[in-house]
Amino acid sequence: MSAGRRDWSAAEREYLLAFADDEHLMGQQHTEWIGTAPFLEEDLAFASIAQDELGHAAALYELLGDADDLAFRRDADGYRSCALVELPCPDWAEALARHWLYDLAERHRWQSLGAGIDDRLDGVVARARREEEYHRLHAAALIGRLYGQDGDAHERLDAAVRSLLPFADALWEPVAGEHEAHRAGLATVTSAQLRARWRPEVEAVVGPVPWDELANLGQDARRQRTEHFASLFDRITEVFRIDPNAIW
Amino acid sequence: MNVYEVFLKKDGKDEFRHAGSIEAADPDLAMVLVRETYLRRAEGDQVWLVDRRHVVASGPGYIDPNADKPHRFNDGGRVAARRKAKRDESGAAR
Repeated sequence: MSAGRRDWSAAEREYLLAFADDEHLMGQQHTEWIGTAPFLEEDLAFASIAQDELGHAAALYELLGDADDLAFRRDADGYRSCALVELPCPDWAEALARHWLYDLAERHRWQSLGAGIDDRLDGVVARARREEEYHRLHAAALIGRLYGQDGDAHERLDAAVRSLLPFADALWEPVAGEHEAHRAGLATVTSAQLRARWRPEVEAVVGPVPWDELANLGQDARRQRTEHFASLFDRITEVFRIDPNAIW
Repeated sequence: MNVYEVFLKKDGKDEFRHAGSIEAADPDLAMVLVRETYLRRAEGDQVWLVDRRHVVASGPGYIDPNADKPHRFNDGGRVAARRKAKRDESGAAR
């Protein structure tokens, strides 16, 4: 049975936009390691993952409108990204920790999107789920190897994870439009339920986490940009602004 | 760090072919990293990694003497030359 194209409600758009914006900014952040990752093979792997994330963002944006408009021609206020993907992570340990925390979460998010609502969404989900398997494998292999060691690698990674946990956990704050998206079958699982799946996976590696004591980023954090957004968005649109009408 | 020799196989009847090597801390990491280093454009649909320490390799000079045995390079040239000579001989006699 073909679902055809869905006319998204405002709430459903908000829900998809939050995911698309996370993917967009996460992909952009990863690309900034091209040429400077610690070794060549990792450089290639990380760049490939960045490309995948940007591809997911583009595909989700296309469901909602023109990808370029949504990616480059929106005001900061229009973004719905979470704080985790806006943070600068200039240290490799931080970038790796974020990649791991984010992709653990991302996998659950793809698995929670409903099937049979929109043909194109079904296609995006199928593709993304396949790609996410590698992202998860890549993060788990590196984290498992480095976290399990004594000394510098463990300490740096542990410090990075601990500093990022409040932001990573806040990724699961209920997204605007979630309730309606859930009722419409676009979201099959609530953010709270996904958080409950994600937390034990994090703890399986880093040990018990005092979740209730983590710094609170406040309600509706996705409607406010962090102080880091402006410079990130400046880099994102750097080439685009040279000639907004250029055809690629 | 260990070195792993990389073999790729394409779809179909082709055999696994050596494509290069990759350095990694363990086999799992090698398998993770080889995918985007050697198979970004699906250069194969299967990959083997072989720990270089498990490769049985020849020592220096071991093969060299065999490079000097033209009688093992049978391209039929000498036989062809003899037969031609024979033909020319009988032609001249007629």
